[in-house]
Parts: sequence; structure tokens; C-alpha cells
Amino acid sequence: MFENDEMILETKHVTRKFPASNNRTLVACDDINLKLYKGKTLGLVGESGCGKSTFMRFLVALDKPTEGKILYRGKDITKMKGEELRQNRQHIQMVFQDPSGSFNPKMKIRDIICEPLMNFRKIKAGEKDAVARKYLEMVDLPGEFANRYPHNMSGGQRQRVAIARAIALEPEIIVMDEATCALDVSVQKTIIELIVGLQKKKNIAIGFIAHDLGLIQSFAHQIAVMYLGNIVEILPGEDIGECAKHPYTQALIHSIFDVKMDFTKQIECAEGEVPSPLDVPVGCPFQDRCEACMEICSREKPQLIPLTEEHLVACHRY
Amino acid sequence: MLEIRDVTISYHGMPTVTDFSLSLEQGQIFSLVGESGSGKTTVIRAVLGLLAGGGKVTKGDILFEGNSLLGNTSEQWRALRGRDISMIFQDSGAMMNPTKRIGSVFVEYIRTHEKNISKKEAWNKGIMMLERMRLANGDNIMRSYPFQLSGGMRQRVGIALAMTYQPKLLLADEPTSALDVTTQAQIVRQMMELRDEYGTSIIMVTHNLGVAAYMSDYIVVMKDGKIEDEGNRDVMIMEPDNSYTKSLLAAVPSLGGVRYV
Repeated sequence: MFENDEMILETKHVTRKFPASNNRTLVACDDINLKLYKGKTLGLVGESGCGKSTFMRFLVALDKPTEGKILYRGKDITKMKGEELRQNRQHIQMVFQDPSGSFNPKMKIRDIICEPLMNFRKIKAGEKDAVARKYLEMVDLPGEFANRYPHNMSGGQRQRVAIARAIALEPEIIVMDEATCALDVSVQKTIIELIVGLQKKKNIAIGFIAHDLGLIQSFAHQIAVMYLGNIVEILPGEDIGECAKHPYTQALIHSIFDVKMDFTKQIECAEGEVPSPLDVPVGCPFQDRCEACMEICSREKPQLIPLTEEHLVACHRY
Repeated sequence: MLEIRDVTISYHGMPTVTDFSLSLEQGQIFSLVGESGSGKTTVIRAVLGLLAGGGKVTKGDILFEGNSLLGNTSEQWRALRGRDISMIFQDSGAMMNPTKRIGSVFVEYIRTHEKNISKKEAWNKGIMMLERMRLANGDNIMRSYPFQLSGGMRQRVGIALAMTYQPKLLLADEPTSALDVTTQAQIVRQMMELRDEYGTSIIMVTHNLGVAAYMSDYIVVMKDGKIEDEGNRDVMIMEPDNSYTKSLLAAVPSLGGVRYV
């Protein structure tokens, strides 16, 4: 996919197992192979507990996979240590779901934005004010906000500051973990517009976690759908509505409430709940909730197979 | 059935909601939509007399079946709350005592409202309600603590509690916003069945315009404590006049909608 674009990060067979009680293991991510391209957005969708945040945390080296490699420009970041790892953090930055939780409440916005730059000795203390203003203006906030504290700002403004802090080091990759889901729809829209604008200007690769397919399709180039630790479908962002094949992706699409939908129609939705990740069924992880479940689904786990060059699906029907 | 007449609600003398009026009939579903801080929750909390931290209705009146709610004594409130008017919160898990099992909360609730019912009967009634909310294995759930259940299950328990006495009016404060999309669809479907089965009227507070549009007969858009726009669902969604309503509608992400890349 995206032959013309440079691939910057690749994960190979990434698996993460957590030990659980009674000698069981919880497989949070199972054999995940994804690629991030320069200037492109990868959207990762799925229900809570499916392992999407666990996976994205590997990219910023907040956690390490049990097996597999994560290659950033050919180098395995899971093997990095000490100073090399610290230097590598400049290239991959993160924006969290709740910006107030990721700021020190006693620091002024100026110090929050400049802290990563100070850590890497990119600027001197005297330049802080000018630099903070520059980045605040980049995220469409007035420069005077540099003197404020996080609690003096609204949720949307705080999220803009979090984005300003993430871009301050001019990273190549930004990971956003549900960066807009705590915000009002109107604010969410402006934040998405800001992210897309910055991506175009600076050619950043974005890994975006969301559970709202309607939101993610508005700006992702590539969408990966995750269920119980497995990637079940990878497809291009533009036509998810028409070409989604996996029954789980379709269930997600059917459960979107849209102001343009037919209100007289019963909303369809996948029955039941996600089974506990501690006892993932043998075979296809989605078999219990799938309407098209066949005999083979309970025996053999479907592998991701390409339907077209850009569209992969893990389902026995294809 | 419920009439809110020109109500102004103030916290410590500062008016938060001004001149709010609304009139609801049996079996109708109303939605209050708006951004955070627009006063949506304050309105429905006032209906149930649950205004937090010094909140007061300073003007106007709230009538439920012809009687004013504002002068209610705590005895009268106790008879009304959970019987004729119930409420579902955003996270039903946070509403329940974390150190008590679902069953003991349920039994206590039922025995508060029905004096001469035995614990055993109350327990069975609880299981019956849970099963009506499509929570199979009710006995197991009654023996669980809130933290042992998933978000969707907790929300169903919350609805089961609220619907035990088939209230005439159900107030729902962001009932689905903490849930996944698939669970949200299941809960929305169940709430609409409540209206069809029991004729319950629902006032729902939400910031999800898609859910509001799907569920409700009538939509009220609030902004800065005032009603910005209101009308029947079809008018509000298909041909809105108000520019604020239009901008809210345009911000809802939809499949096949705007693409920025």
C-alpha cells in the first residue's frame, strides 16, 4: 500500500502476553503486522479491551511486546536501551485521551510545551517564551496562553496544547490514543481539522486509536480493525462504508448512529458482548457473535488474506 | 404529564439555566442536546430534585401530573423517586455502592418501596427484571460486585433498577456515552422497547446527535443555559433553521461524509 510513500515504521509478528491468575495468560495482541507511512494516518478501531492501546504503547516504547519486532527506520526499538532509546523518543511522540491527566497541573503551558525541547537541549531557557508562542499559534491558540495553567483552559484547548507539545520535537510519528473522544462533537471537528492540517504541513505519520468508525474514516488513509487482540481487517480509509467485508467491521458500521440515517429502520447490532480475553475461543475470535459462523470457524483461526492489494481480511468466507 | 414552566436554576445565586420550558406527554421521548456546560444535566436533575451543591430553582415551576414538585417534602420525594420517576446515569457502576453486591442493592431498593415483601421475593423480582433487560444468568449477576461487570452490563443493571416499578418518566443522563458503539446500539434499542412496552416517557440528555435523532420525537438544543432551538425530530434534523443547530449537525462524523484527506 502507498508504494510512493516512504515506510517509516513496521511491526512484525508483535504479540503481547500478560500473565494472569491460575497460570493463565492473557493475549492482548496476537501476531500484529502493521506499517506506518510518512504523512499517512493509520486508524486502529475496535471495542474496549481489544488491545488497541496496548499495541500503540509499543510504538512509543512505553511497553515491550513479548514477541516480535518493531522496526523504526530499520532499527528494532524493542531492543533499544538507555541513551539510544531516549534519543529515539524524539521521533515518536504521543497525545493521550485525557489531556488534563497528562499535564503537570503545577506547570504553566509555556513549560509544558517546552519541556521536551529542554530535555533534548534544543532550546535555551531564555527562548522558551518565543518558542511556546510559536507552537501555540501553530495549534490556533493565542500566544498569551503561555502564561496559563492547564486548569484555566477548556478540554478542547488543553487537547490543542497536548498536540503542540507532541509536535514540538518535530517527530516523524505521532500516536494519538482516542485524542478526541472526551470532547464535544463541534470541538472534535476542529481538532481533527487541525491534526489533518498539521499532518499535511509537516508530513507526519499518525497512528490514531478510535472506537468511532464514522470519525476515523473522515481522515485515515488506512484502517485496521481489531477484535480480541487480532487484526481482522485492514482496508483503505476512503471506502470503508462500501467495501468492508469482515462481519465484525460490518457490525461496527451498522451500529453507527448517524443524523442522515433512516430513523424508521431498526438499528442492527452484534448481539452479546466481547468474550473475556482470558478465554478467547479456539478458531475465529468472532465466532460467538457472528451471524455467518460456519463449522470451520470453530476449528481453524482465519489468517489475513489479501482481497486486493490494499484490502486484507481474516475470515473463512473469503 | 410533565411540564417545566419558565424555570430558572441558579447555583449560589448565579443563574445557570434561564427560562427553560418544556412539556412532555405520556410515551414521548425528548432529547436535550448541547455542548458540555450548556445546562442539560442541570435541567433533568432539577426535575428529580437532585440539584448538586447549592443549586436551586429560583423562578418558574415544575409540574408532574399537575402537582408542583418544588414544594415536595423528603417523604414525598422518596415516594416519587424510583417509582414514578427514575433516573439512569452515565455510569451506573459509579452510582452503586462498590462494596455491595448487585443483589443486595436490588433487594434494598425493592424493600424500600414495597414494605411487605420478603427478601426472597425481592431477590426473585430482581432476577426477573435483569432477565427482562436481556441479562441472562440473573442469579450470577445478583451475586457480583459492580466492578466485576462490563460497562454495558452495568448500564443494563442500571436500567433494570430504574424500570422495576415501570416509572411513568425515565430521566437518562448520557446513558450510552461511556459505551462502545455496538453496546450503545443494544442499549438504545432496549430503551426504545421500554417506551413501546410500558409507555414510559423518556427525557434523555446526550451530546450524541445521532442517538438523539434516532430515538427521540422531539429535540431541544441548549446553549449557555438557554433553549437555542427546539422542534420535532424530523424538522430539526432534515430542515433546521437555526445556525447553531446546523453547525452541530455538520460536526457529526458520518460514514461517507466529509473526508479531510
